[in-house]
Amino acid sequence: MSSTESAQDIARVYRFLAQCMQYPDAEWTNDEFFNVLYNLLGTLGGVEDGIEIKRAIDGAEDALEDLQVEYTRLFINGMPHVIAPPFGSVYMDQSLQGVFAGDTLAFYKKKGFGMEADADLPDHIVHELEFLSLLAEENDLEGEEEFLKKLFRPWFRKFLIRVTAGAHHPYYRVVVQLIDFFTKEEDKDGFQPNEA
Amino acid sequence: MAFNLTRRKFLQTASLAAASVPLSKVVSADTGVSKSALDAKGTAGDKTVVGGICEMCFWRCQLVGKVRDGRLMKLEGNPKSIDNGAAICARGNAGVKLLYDVDRLKYPMKNVGKRGEPKWKRISWKEALDECGSKLKATVDKYGPHGISVYPHGASAKYPMHYFERTVGTHNVSEASFFQCRGIRDTAYVSTIGKAPGEKIDMPNTKVLFFIGDHLGENVHVSHIKQYIQGLQNGAKLIVADPRFSASAAKADIWVQIKPGTDTAYMLAIMNYLVQNKKYDADFIENHTSGFEEFAEAIKGWTLEKAAKECDIPAKQIKEVAEMLASNAPHVAIHPGRHVSWYGNDFQRERALACLTGLLGAYFVKGGWVPAKGPKVKGVSWAKHDHGHEFDLNYNHEEDEKIYSHNPPGTPTELIRDCSISGKPYPIKSCVIWGQNPLQTIPNQEKMKDVFRAMDFIMCVDVMPTDVTAWADILLPEKSYLERHDYIKKGTQWDLSKEHQQYIAARMPLVDPLFERKDQVYITNEIAKRMGHADEIPVNTIEEMVDKSLASANLSLEKLIAEDGIHIRPGKDPYGVPEDFEVVLYNEDLEDLGHPGAPTYKPVEEVPAGYARLLYGRAPVHTFNRSQNNVWLKNAMPDNPVWVNNEVAAKLGLVDGDTVGFINSEGVKSRTTTTVKVTAGIRKDCVYMYHGYGSANPLMTIGVGQGVDDQSLITKLAIDPETGCHGMRNNFVKLTKNGKVLDLNV
Repeated sequence: MSSTESAQDIARVYRFLAQCMQYPDAEWTNDEFFNVLYNLLGTLGGVEDGIEIKRAIDGAEDALEDLQVEYTRLFINGMPHVIAPPFGSVYMDQSLQGVFAGDTLAFYKKKGFGMEADADLPDHIVHELEFLSLLAEENDLEGEEEFLKKLFRPWFRKFLIRVTAGAHHPYYRVVVQLIDFFTKEEDKDGFQPNEA
Repeated sequence: MAFNLTRRKFLQTASLAAASVPLSKVVSADTGVSKSALDAKGTAGDKTVVGGICEMCFWRCQLVGKVRDGRLMKLEGNPKSIDNGAAICARGNAGVKLLYDVDRLKYPMKNVGKRGEPKWKRISWKEALDECGSKLKATVDKYGPHGISVYPHGASAKYPMHYFERTVGTHNVSEASFFQCRGIRDTAYVSTIGKAPGEKIDMPNTKVLFFIGDHLGENVHVSHIKQYIQGLQNGAKLIVADPRFSASAAKADIWVQIKPGTDTAYMLAIMNYLVQNKKYDADFIENHTSGFEEFAEAIKGWTLEKAAKECDIPAKQIKEVAEMLASNAPHVAIHPGRHVSWYGNDFQRERALACLTGLLGAYFVKGGWVPAKGPKVKGVSWAKHDHGHEFDLNYNHEEDEKIYSHNPPGTPTELIRDCSISGKPYPIKSCVIWGQNPLQTIPNQEKMKDVFRAMDFIMCVDVMPTDVTAWADILLPEKSYLERHDYIKKGTQWDLSKEHQQYIAARMPLVDPLFERKDQVYITNEIAKRMGHADEIPVNTIEEMVDKSLASANLSLEKLIAEDGIHIRPGKDPYGVPEDFEVVLYNEDLEDLGHPGAPTYKPVEEVPAGYARLLYGRAPVHTFNRSQNNVWLKNAMPDNPVWVNNEVAAKLGLVDGDTVGFINSEGVKSRTTTTVKVTAGIRKDCVYMYHGYGSANPLMTIGVGQGVDDQSLITKLAIDPETGCHGMRNNFVKLTKNGKVLDLNV
């Protein structure tokens, strides 16, 4: 397999992970999506995780609403309180749209990308994964590694802990583990960000 | 979970290709990040955005925002301002943290759980508005417009409030700023001088400042504080009546450590002394007052000694105060107060303040009560309609007169709550809460919850998940004051003795709103369309509303931006008593309605043995409960220690910093604890704490459980008989420590 082909593959993975972290709605949260997810998990040896998600989905009176309520509670506003806002700045600056979000946007711009008018904040996990996907599409391995090290992993590690501990629905617990799996090796060199 | 591959291995294997191909079939085509033209470095840069009007409190200082790449970095006073100038207070500065507070409401949400224990689900605006429109319309169709009650607060609530009041036609509107705050002051002054007084005293140019309970310095409104400090710098004497050694008491020439609830008796004695000793302004009485003789007769029993006994202060100090006022009249500034809903006898106290000002001839003179001559700008809102009295809860149909004759605009809160719970005389089944947190603004939280339990539908609009939002069925996120147009602030230079100038400033967004927050005009109009009132919508956008208003002053948003956010023009001399101005010392209309014609002292309930009266007030870095989740302000003042008299504390073995809870005389316990502040600066018969702490909503991750919620302990309700407003300082508490209840024997 050529490195370009491999990069396209990883680009598709990032895009899929970004999709997984979108607010669930009927347009994409469907059987086809879950079958693809189960297949990916199976490839990674995570069959049990897939089964756990399937049980939660199949056993629910309204599976979509369960996911929406869980997403809202975990990432937007929830009782007893929002568990894990999906924005880097919250973890690095203790604020929305902090300096960290600006640094993230600056990185996008440096690589020739920008935010769409209707996009969320640049440091939203969905957009960071989309950006990684776009870098991979361009086969910019160096950029991908730099972004992961400086602007993704430093906050994602904290986010991961919160979601893993706070999720009630297996879907989100598994999805963040998947994201962790596909992004974690790049922080092995011990980059130490100046965290809030 | 542990996947049985390493990432590197997986990426190197053919399994990636096999697994990844199907992934692209289930992802959407659009991304939020996309290829774009490269920005030259520095093209975005920093900029100063004009047009900000603060709303961390109601004073509304004029702001500029320092913005970098669309992100508000810092707020400052607008240097062009002739009001607050370049200065803003701690709260104003901390607006940045409100703007980017991660707990802020972001999307419309539907409660798919229980009221009070919500399970929130993000929904689309269309779904949210459809639900609000259909539920509110169903209420109107089944029960009539009066089946809706409204609890609004703040600049953004005006437009929706007018919609429900004027267009839909419900009388059942309760604004906390009136019924739990200043409404009593306004109607008492209207019945005395024909105008609401505001805080329009000419402090920079006065000789004596007279405060009843006002604790300027602990409540900080920038230009008001500038006026106050300028007055003191210019040598004004300061008289402060307060049971507590407040920030103002600390600067006072005379601190009157008055017994709570007896202020009217104190002022009656001062006024009687002035009358008996002919130390009033005879010319002013002759030319600008009515009912002097009856007034003098009505208060003649209030000797210094009688008041001294009632107020628990020395008679000679009352005389000293009266003499100081008389010898400096008419250049004396009698502060009308602002939050005045204290004891249920407050209309009379406010009347006394207005009459005392009159006796001293201190209206429209340098250093007295002087309404500055500001510019006129017309408001634009929903057209007014007469909805009659048939469903007005504040109307006695048998007597054909109001129940509370001098109520501020809206309907007294208790009438709405009683009707909501009992369903009598008619059902109230929907509730619109807009910017108000009735669980921390209105006394007796359990009663408020009973109101919510009786509703078919509750919608809340707010910027933060305050306590009350947990009771909403639909919760809508509003743009903050830094992200929207609306309020038009107008006034004059802060020191009336300086060059006369007027200013007009309209609120403009300093940054774009994040997420799906919307403004009040959009939300209200969309609901109105769904309720069948599309034809009556007065403006299509909030910008149109502001521009139409500004047009009445020959201005526009465009012009204001060109003028750095503030239009300034020559003003007018505010001094000089208008010929037709009259102070009604003895009000026969009031008498005809069964109230005293002259200001009258009505004693309040004595403190029961073992208890202390619970007093509360403002913290300089907080605005009630509205700022409790702000991390900067929380760090500046994390909780609200309870002030306990040092002798009482010594008897109980309490020391500074001890952790205590509360139980009130009705058995209600505080949910949380706070620390003790032991001080000689408070009377033995009361305790004091700052208001606006101890949120019960865990969604407020910063403010939840921090300090004690004083409102939770205010369960005994006093109702002011003239206005129907609440009195909230007739509640009595004991402290608890380590599970033990401590008797506060005084």
